[in-house]
Amino acid sequence: MSGIPNTRASLLLRIKDPADRDAWEEFVELYRPIIYRMARKRGLQDADAQDLAQKVLGSVASSIEGWEHDPQRARFSTWLTTVTRNAIIDTVRRIKPDSSSGGTSMLQQLKRLPQSEEGAAAELNREYRRQLFRHAAAEIQHEFEPETWTAFWLTTVENVGVTEAAERTGKAIGSIYAARSRVMRRLKEKVSQLEVSDDS
Amino acid sequence: MTVDSQHYEPDVIERFLRSDLPEAELKNVERHIESCETCQQQLLDTAADGDWWTDASEFLIADEHDEANLTGFSTLVRPNEPDEDTSNRTDIRQIIAWLAPTDDPAMLGRIGTYEVAGVIGAGGMGVVLKGFDRALNRYVAIKILAPHLATSGAARRRFAREAQAAAAVVHDNVIAIHGVDEAAGVPYLVMPYVRGKSLQKRLDSASLNISEVLRISMQTARGLSAAHDQGLVHRDIKPANILLDGTTERVLLTDFGLARAADDASLTHSGVIAGTPYFMSPEQAEGSGIDHRSDLFSLGSVMYTMCTGRPPFRAETSWGILRRVSEATPTPIRELNPDVPAWLAGLVGKLLQKNADDRFQSADQLARLLEQCLAHVQQPTSQSLPIAAAALAETDRSAQSQRINEGWLLIAGLALGITMVVLLGRPWFVTGTSEPIDTSAKTTEPDSQSVPPSGELPSWNSTDDELNRLRGSIEKLDQQTSDFWK
Repeated sequence: MSGIPNTRASLLLRIKDPADRDAWEEFVELYRPIIYRMARKRGLQDADAQDLAQKVLGSVASSIEGWEHDPQRARFSTWLTTVTRNAIIDTVRRIKPDSSSGGTSMLQQLKRLPQSEEGAAAELNREYRRQLFRHAAAEIQHEFEPETWTAFWLTTVENVGVTEAAERTGKAIGSIYAARSRVMRRLKEKVSQLEVSDDS
Repeated sequence: MTVDSQHYEPDVIERFLRSDLPEAELKNVERHIESCETCQQQLLDTAADGDWWTDASEFLIADEHDEANLTGFSTLVRPNEPDEDTSNRTDIRQIIAWLAPTDDPAMLGRIGTYEVAGVIGAGGMGVVLKGFDRALNRYVAIKILAPHLATSGAARRRFAREAQAAAAVVHDNVIAIHGVDEAAGVPYLVMPYVRGKSLQKRLDSASLNISEVLRISMQTARGLSAAHDQGLVHRDIKPANILLDGTTERVLLTDFGLARAADDASLTHSGVIAGTPYFMSPEQAEGSGIDHRSDLFSLGSVMYTMCTGRPPFRAETSWGILRRVSEATPTPIRELNPDVPAWLAGLVGKLLQKNADDRFQSADQLARLLEQCLAHVQQPTSQSLPIAAAALAETDRSAQSQRINEGWLLIAGLALGITMVVLLGRPWFVTGTSEPIDTSAKTTEPDSQSVPPSGELPSWNSTDDELNRLRGSIEKLDQQTSDFWK
């Protein structure tokens, strides 16, 4: 097992210091793509989605400036996560469906109905999990030999057949199975670990 | 523990997964898994249940809702759009922190004898700083190997060695190297500060006309030729590495050797493909040996991009691009931009041959041909198109020209057939069955099919049918041709 420290919770604690750019950047790294993606799914253009993410995170940043850490009260990470999530859900639900896209099919009409709070929250959870997977993958990649990682990537993410992956990496089929399973196991561990450290 | 039961017990599979078995036993299990589907499935299920596999597949792939140039995670997942200016801030901060202090408050710091005035850009492989050379009173560009690469001894040595090799290439179209040095264990090289922009930037803002495409390609080929003469393969020819000197319209090739330095450190150690593989050659994509003709393929990809506005091989992921580079035939240039002459499309097609033997064999040969082509484009009346280029027009596989050629051939053939029916009607009295006419669009040899072989000529009775069928084909063809011109 790697000794990667469980940094995420402490990271959130440090973020109240606005001078701590690194901490802020890492928080942004996690939540910014979530907001961006949710906005894009609602038809916002790239630039608008970026602006929106900037706005939401900016408002979160300003609201935490005065926050003083008190071990007796709600954990800062919990509080911050709640604030951020509420801000995201509020904001994306207010996005006007893209009227310029024209079509009037039933599906499009349905899409234009305002989304329920629960629906948005479920979507947010899913997007959050997506980011956990991506962060976890980025963190564990260096633990593996490149060919092992490639074997995992090809077969699991790109849906390349095991036989083809074996040909392309020059590995035996048994070794492809071993590689993808070991990476998957590690990925699962890492995701679970990130999840715990964010929730606790 | 072994396989009386044909399959391994779950706990063995679990221990295999954790590599918690003696070496020999690990090998046995792996060998068994090679062919046992039950144990293959068992292994996957033990690693993580089905949801995890589907989540991993869905979450890790970048989709249409992702930002075009994701940072961080993206470099491992999908290629960034070629953009040297997407600064990696950590790198820059690291670099600035690493600079030696300076007395000059207007400067960020010092490297060797150079004052650092600012940051020009940052890419996956290095950071480029704007420096000031006090002794010679001029600005310089200082390229530093990225800190994460500089920790690799092999990458550092390669950087220094290739920078020295690049310094030996003295040519108008290759950026000069003023010096190669090392500060605090990090190698850097010093080059002239060029006021201009990269071809990438140029392509982002406007399209190029044919003369410009030819001029830029010709100068790039000349620069390459000079490098190849020194035994140096560039390895990373792409629009971002082709600088256009703002004042003189001169092309300057940059970034020799860095690609290789990056290969050493990142590709082999972490599996991350350094930079974008859009312009890689098939031999690079496949990791097999390369020579100077690899650069010619890359130049072909750059020319394709100049002609059409997009790289020839595109996919969502680096791996996807690599696969297309080595396997796919790009969309014909003239289908994307009909203004490109067939000979130019054919010329690019020759550079993009998968087999290096089928490309031009030297950058010099290419540069000279491009020079003649440019003269022709600029003065079409006095300068004829070089024969070699004209011949390439024939090879252009662009769908349009092919369709046109096939179309006209087919029409000509059918006309010939009808003429024969009318003029040479007599021999058709002789009995025989008619050769069926293929009316499908795929027909490529219409003349041979519409002229029946002399031994088997149809009777008058079948001639009417024949004529009707011919008429049918012509109508169909007419339809096709008008569709095409729409």
